[in-house]
Amino acid sequence: MHGVDLSKYSQLLTAYTELRVQENRSVQISFVKGNNTINSRSITGGVSARVYKNGSWGFASNPEVTDDSIRSVIKVATDNAVFLDSRERKGKKPLPVTAASSDNDFSTKKSRLGQRQLVEFAREVDSHIVRKYPNLSSRTVVLSCLDMEKTLLTSDGSYAHSMIPRSFIHVTLSVEKDGKPVELSDSYGGLGQFEDVFESPASIFDGIEKQYQHLMKKKEGVFPEAGVKTCVLDAELAGILAHEAIGHTTEADLVMGGSVAGGLLGKEVASPLITLVDFANTCLGKTCPVPVYVDDEGTRAEDVVIIDKGVLKGFMHNKESAAHFGVSPTGNARAFLFSDEPLIRMRNTAIMPGTSKLEDMIASVDDGYYLINPSNGQADSTSEFMFGITLGYEIKNGKIGRAIVDTTISGVAFDVLKTVTMVSDEMKWLSAGMCGKKQPIPVGMGGPAIKCKVNIGGR
Amino acid sequence: MRDPKKLAKSGLDALLKAGAEKAQCLLSLTDKHEMNVDAGELSLFRTTFDTRLSMTAIKGQKKGTSSINKADSESIERAAAEALAIADASQPDEANDIAEYQVPQEFSAGSDSPDFGRMHYRLKELLNTVRARYPKIVLRQAYLDFTRERLYLVNSNGVDFVSTKGVYRCFIIFSSRDGEKVSSFNYTGVAMKDLEKEIIECGSIDILLRQSTEQITTRSVGSKFVGDVIVAPDCLEDVLGFLTASISDRPMISGTSIYKDKLNQPVASPLLTVHSKPVSDEICDGYFLTQDGYAARNSTIVGRGVLRAFLLSLYGSRKTGKERSVNDGRAFVVEPGHTSLEDMVKAVKKGILLVRFSGGRPNENGDFAGVAKNSYYIEDGEIKYPISETMISGNFAQMLGNITAISSERIDYGFAVLPWVAFSGVVISGK
Repeated sequence: MHGVDLSKYSQLLTAYTELRVQENRSVQISFVKGNNTINSRSITGGVSARVYKNGSWGFASNPEVTDDSIRSVIKVATDNAVFLDSRERKGKKPLPVTAASSDNDFSTKKSRLGQRQLVEFAREVDSHIVRKYPNLSSRTVVLSCLDMEKTLLTSDGSYAHSMIPRSFIHVTLSVEKDGKPVELSDSYGGLGQFEDVFESPASIFDGIEKQYQHLMKKKEGVFPEAGVKTCVLDAELAGILAHEAIGHTTEADLVMGGSVAGGLLGKEVASPLITLVDFANTCLGKTCPVPVYVDDEGTRAEDVVIIDKGVLKGFMHNKESAAHFGVSPTGNARAFLFSDEPLIRMRNTAIMPGTSKLEDMIASVDDGYYLINPSNGQADSTSEFMFGITLGYEIKNGKIGRAIVDTTISGVAFDVLKTVTMVSDEMKWLSAGMCGKKQPIPVGMGGPAIKCKVNIGGR
Repeated sequence: MRDPKKLAKSGLDALLKAGAEKAQCLLSLTDKHEMNVDAGELSLFRTTFDTRLSMTAIKGQKKGTSSINKADSESIERAAAEALAIADASQPDEANDIAEYQVPQEFSAGSDSPDFGRMHYRLKELLNTVRARYPKIVLRQAYLDFTRERLYLVNSNGVDFVSTKGVYRCFIIFSSRDGEKVSSFNYTGVAMKDLEKEIIECGSIDILLRQSTEQITTRSVGSKFVGDVIVAPDCLEDVLGFLTASISDRPMISGTSIYKDKLNQPVASPLLTVHSKPVSDEICDGYFLTQDGYAARNSTIVGRGVLRAFLLSLYGSRKTGKERSVNDGRAFVVEPGHTSLEDMVKAVKKGILLVRFSGGRPNENGDFAGVAKNSYYIEDGEIKYPISETMISGNFAQMLGNITAISSERIDYGFAVLPWVAFSGVVISGK
């Protein structure tokens, strides 16, 4: 797909227009208890145009990328904008002008593995699990890769190309306890094509060993005691808290749609230990899991400091919301498929590391929980959140105790973040999942461990 | 584009020519026309066309699938070769197969094309009605779309199906605001075969909008107790979802499903009957074809509390030795009970009306915990106040056995028809 030249269409972009050619390429290989249940490849690509007229948008897409189809989507998108404008008559001002160019290609330089080698890789991981852990009742190994390649031309003069890949191996281990299954899942991988992320099946065996050890403890797990408890949320949970509970409430379209954060700008919303940033592409000198350099409206992506030392400082914007709030666009407009319009989306949202050591944080808790792995998460316009917990331990008198069974934690994020008394000095990223908001999209979520009070579900 | 039926057959021919012993080709052509509302304003009119060609090859009991969204000859040839290469790289499995011959058939439902003027009118009407009836509501996002999907499914056993469906769908997400105070957001969706009716009168839209305005000021239920939960139709699928997920391929094949040996045994209260009706007049947003190439039929999943069918694909059926499902699930129709919702509330000593559930995925045993959103505290037979920061926990499998009543009223979503269901013995805990 690299090499699609859109520049010759610039003269057709008479109104404000974004013209995007995109291809998502995915590989999915799944072994369920040794059975190769899924073995597939998929390519979804095409061209889309989005046109703005006096506050009304028109959008059109076509899976064919030909001269005719490109001209056609520009025309249909324009007609749609004209249709809506003729009925709505909003009379809004033009959008802020941003022009940027970039070419960020994370394609591997190594020779590509074929499907046979990828299947063999997954099968080898599966065989290792069977050999090493004979007491397991079942296991699932899923190999999943997604390449997103985009070329964008805008009427503002932006021209950008990107190829952002991600590759994961998801492993679920199951064991029986009293005839009932107990499971623990984990994901390995991150930014990059498969060859750059995984050297060999053995490269994830240490991780699987830790997963297995945790599962053996979880097998003997107890229900947590329901109620508000002091908890040490490990990095992955702090990351999901940053994304779900704070991040979503500070997306400018959600602020305009009534989120509680709308009235909190400039106010203290968290402990002074908390600084929370949506990174565009680079954090602490390293490339983030989902780097965005120029967004799908052609705006250069900038970091957004959402909370600075406990004070709510800013929101994430596209061009339209930036114009509404009288600020600059931040480069958060992103679309998942060629046929999707850009929405305000997070990129890499993280709580910044502090100065405490994780072991000191655990040692400081008399009666609480150390919560490690999240499953899903959801948050509200009020910042009330819920996360599924699939791995955690009791903390009794400053020491790790028994494992707990699957549970859920909840709280009002802006209240919970005020209870933070310690932040660890290590930061980790979580990027295996998809964020859902009309469209799915890959995001990065990061953080250190934090000590706070949350409501934990149990018996 | 060439004649789609010929195109699908050319995909099948390409697979067989590339060396497949058995092959299936599914061509899907989708036209979507969507009007969007953002922050209470009509903002975007979107038209998308998509093509999806899913090509499956089996050779030496090895299976591979390649999907593309192009329909030119060169892309089809390439995808056929890739499907074979993927199959070649796969593990042999005698359970891999395609659907056997069925009499060729063409199915159709709904309109062929949208009425843009009517779509705009109905969406504007919704905005105006919400503004007038519920001024505190903030419509964060809404969209009304018309989607026409044409499916062409052919396989090397002679299966030759065409399915055409046109349906309007509306989704809204909203909250309420009064000064600085905001309610939890809530959302719902509905499918419609036409736009004869006002959108606000469809599904549960009006009920949820009204409730949202009541939920700006909330309280926690306080201390922990074991009580009754009346689950509203909008979150009934969260409870039923545990059952339907557990009787599907992955947990059944891996053996982790707690229902794997429960066919024709009680799994729920005798009050509960759940059908999957993808080809019923009761469902306007159903489907005619299953993923594995069969003409879909309606089925009863749970009949008077007894598990009557698994949701196994052809592959899942072969792997487990159990009967293949006659549909892909979804399109759920739950039979109504004999108690009015009002009487169900009156029968609750202490509990909640659960309108939205925000919870972690239940584990394989059905243990769950989550937050009761947009919900109400009930005491002595009366709805007392809207709640927040309230968690519920329990076990979905046990809950299904503890149904105390099912409402005579149901909500017709177009894609499902669901009542209110009361369960006893759920742990409810406040802040």
